[in-house]
Amino acid sequence: MIPFTQYVRGLAGDDDLVRLDGPFEVPVDVLAAEALRASGPALRFQRAAGSDLVSGVFSGPDQTHQREARPWSRLSLGLGLDPEAMLVDLLETISTLGPAGGNLNPTYTGQAASGTDIDAQDLRFPQGETDTWPAVTLGVASVSTADGTHWAPVHGSVVGGDTLRVRVPDTLSSLVGEGTTMTIALGVPPAAITTAYLLAVTEQTATPIQSCGVTGTVPLVPTNGGLVPSATEVVMETTVVDCKPDFRSDRREGWEYVIESGPLSLSVERVRTTENPVIPVSPVGRPLADDTRLTGLVTAAALYHRLNNYWGISPVEWIMLPAEAELGICFVASDVLYGGFEWQLANILFSFSSLFDTVVIVDEDVPPQDFGRVLADIWLKSHPARDWTFSEPDAPAATRPHYRRDNETGSRLYVNAAWDPRWKETYIAPRVTFENSFPNDVRDVARVLWDEPDTAPGETTENESPH
Amino acid sequence: MSVSSLREYLDLLDTTGWLRSFDQPVSWDLEASAATMLANIRDGPIPVFESIAGLETESKLVGDPYRGPQTRPWDHFARALGLSGGLSGRTYYDRVIDRLNAPQAPRTVASQEAPCKETVRTGNEVDLLSFPWPYIHEGDGGRYSNLHTIVAPDPDTEWGTWSSHRMMIHDSSQASLLLLAGEQVPNRYYYDYEPRGEPMPVAVVIGAEPTVECTADMWIPTGRSEAAFAGGLKSEPVDLVQCETNDLYVPATAELVLEGHVRPDDRLDEGPFGDYFGYMNGPRRSMPVFEVDAITHRHEPRIPFCVEGSGVGYGQNSTSTLRLVAAGPDATVGLRAAGFDVAMAVPWRFTSRTVWVIATDRPYPGYLHELANFIFTTWGMLHIDFFVFVDAAVDPLDPRAVLTAIALEADPDADFHQFGVERMPKVPLNIYQTPDEKGNADVGTSKAKTAKAYIDATTDGDAAEMAATTETRKRAQERLVEAGLNAARFDRLDEREGQSQ
Repeated sequence: MIPFTQYVRGLAGDDDLVRLDGPFEVPVDVLAAEALRASGPALRFQRAAGSDLVSGVFSGPDQTHQREARPWSRLSLGLGLDPEAMLVDLLETISTLGPAGGNLNPTYTGQAASGTDIDAQDLRFPQGETDTWPAVTLGVASVSTADGTHWAPVHGSVVGGDTLRVRVPDTLSSLVGEGTTMTIALGVPPAAITTAYLLAVTEQTATPIQSCGVTGTVPLVPTNGGLVPSATEVVMETTVVDCKPDFRSDRREGWEYVIESGPLSLSVERVRTTENPVIPVSPVGRPLADDTRLTGLVTAAALYHRLNNYWGISPVEWIMLPAEAELGICFVASDVLYGGFEWQLANILFSFSSLFDTVVIVDEDVPPQDFGRVLADIWLKSHPARDWTFSEPDAPAATRPHYRRDNETGSRLYVNAAWDPRWKETYIAPRVTFENSFPNDVRDVARVLWDEPDTAPGETTENESPH
Repeated sequence: MSVSSLREYLDLLDTTGWLRSFDQPVSWDLEASAATMLANIRDGPIPVFESIAGLETESKLVGDPYRGPQTRPWDHFARALGLSGGLSGRTYYDRVIDRLNAPQAPRTVASQEAPCKETVRTGNEVDLLSFPWPYIHEGDGGRYSNLHTIVAPDPDTEWGTWSSHRMMIHDSSQASLLLLAGEQVPNRYYYDYEPRGEPMPVAVVIGAEPTVECTADMWIPTGRSEAAFAGGLKSEPVDLVQCETNDLYVPATAELVLEGHVRPDDRLDEGPFGDYFGYMNGPRRSMPVFEVDAITHRHEPRIPFCVEGSGVGYGQNSTSTLRLVAAGPDATVGLRAAGFDVAMAVPWRFTSRTVWVIATDRPYPGYLHELANFIFTTWGMLHIDFFVFVDAAVDPLDPRAVLTAIALEADPDADFHQFGVERMPKVPLNIYQTPDEKGNADVGTSKAKTAKAYIDATTDGDAAEMAATTETRKRAQERLVEAGLNAARFDRLDEREGQSQ
């Protein structure tokens, strides 16, 4: 388990975080959004008053602009993997945080957040250019029931020193009533917020964390609401004062496109913080925002797990719901086992997720970090007539796209950008690559010309990052 | 001032640190190409191979000279046109469109004033094999010249028509030209000269100045002269000089000119070749024969070539860059001239000749259908399979914005439109048809037909994306650059309006 502050230090140590010193005349969410658009590092906003903020810690570079981009590398680091970890290693790790069957034995340690003489406004949450109130993002809500502690993602606004208006999954709202205590944890270990997202998108918020793999890796501490990670930067203990408050928010964190959500009004009873708290923020609603990226990764993890435990074999190489497509398209690389398998694959994805109604299938040998190749193969390998397959117009609209918000049914689409398994081997055009197009000795000559050190045999260089 | 020759352009690259000369001998047999591909992959400098291994020649090879930087592929061209570096893509397009709207007729010069006539070889002196034509990919059918301008006759213009078709070298005087019916020069040959049994005079211009190379990549309507548009791009006339052995005029500052003719009713093998799709493409086909009558060249000619196939996905090479920096603005001009309210037409950067993105308003119902129909039946017919239409406010140069528009706005039920399933022609370079479907049609197009499609990824009026004000975004970017982030990655810091012409 990696505490949040250690995670932030790790990003800085990897030169993947830049510190900005306040004051900030430009709104923090705009700075955060611009850094993400530019495939920049995570940002730490050092402030004289209030807590420090960090943005971009759960997102990463734009795969449409940058070769070899691995926007999952930061979260990989946060979950204890190598930042160079393959996407599937991360997806599998995410899956282990969820429901594990049976009760596990949590580890309890002391609460890191001990300072108590402040209120919610003292933390100086960032306020966007058009926001009425400061915004709380990337939080974990914790409530306790007879079954145990339940976690879910939460975001909202600070409308006063002791008042929050938040949005949580309906599956969590159904567990609380007016007077219920709820704890909002900010700056939790990456494993904890990932778990909250995973439980939300798989509609398993009702499963107590005592039955989830995260319990085995994240030490916990009891609070008035429920258990939270002991290494939490900010712990806000609150009471639900209104389960149906009359307010609307234009902002939606990414998980809200997957499941139903609703507002709650909370009274803040007590705020505990670490000595120098660091709080993650996401530029919600803007491209590549942390909450979107996180939602895409946990949804992909859930789908990957389900698909590769469905046929008795594991044909799926990887699944991506890229933030670059705002989660509105599902990309899957798979072994196309037989003619027609692509139809099965696409339609099972439609069965397991309502986020998207477009699926793109690529060959299993396309690495997920070579998204540029995916964005070429869509158009190159798929026959414009035969490989763009539309369903009958009787499907419900997906939740993420903007069209058909009137409950009208319509078609779904899958694009088959993989080689047809029925084709003869001689029909398959070889790719033009540094490895395929030149023999070893010629490649060596080319590397030496550019003053390259010798490359180990078999080591690929074609997808190296541009300098 | 625009540059007026490939050499001036290479000097410009040198001054900006984007050129790397290699003095050690490098072979034309895959080595020059492999080194170039590495540079393309890594966004490195443009390589110039000063010494060719195993060949007594004063020629030099230049690998993918027109490849632009990955963050701003138009940057080198902007400088070559006398504009500032660091322009945003939109500003670059605006500047180039302005110039294309002001064509300038070429100027003819005498042979003694034309650098391309420094050496003239005719008759027995003609020897194609004395030049280091590169063998580009292992598996190619032969050695190629594939970054040049073909000059062919056009009865409607004084200066002929310019285009680009790859050429496979066969022997000291013969090459096969990839002429695919549906394009202007191939049509002229297949449906005019060859039926009459008449050889078609052709000049292959290698190492022409950048604006010439740009216009060869454009779809200029018949009756209009590429030479005039090249002059417009340059803001001054292009110098042309008459060929030694035919009536064609060629750019005077070219490095090398092959004069000759395409023989009627004769074919030579062509291909396979690692093509712009990024895949080795077969089968070997029979293509028209180009016979060389004369060779003229500058001293120490620079022979540019393109590592085709390395311009897909994240890769950039000369042809992918030329699509973006030249064909895109040209298409925008052409569509506006045809009455369409188009903000920008831009090739999709991951496969630049297969998909185009067009940012446009939709002034009336059915407008997108009309627009798609117009393009598919004119310049988009053979190579392009898809058009993606996005709002005029969406930056079509930003693939993330385009992908988001497709994901959120393109309804599979209503916004994907197929044009005539299996009724349309297709170049046989594609990889989604089987070899049987491609066949070996006499004029080079696939035997089987294909489909075309367009995607309506425009909104229904609602803004697709939350965005801060331009001014706030700009201030944010300035702050981030101060903190050490790479300025080249930001889009609003590069509008140096006062510096651009």
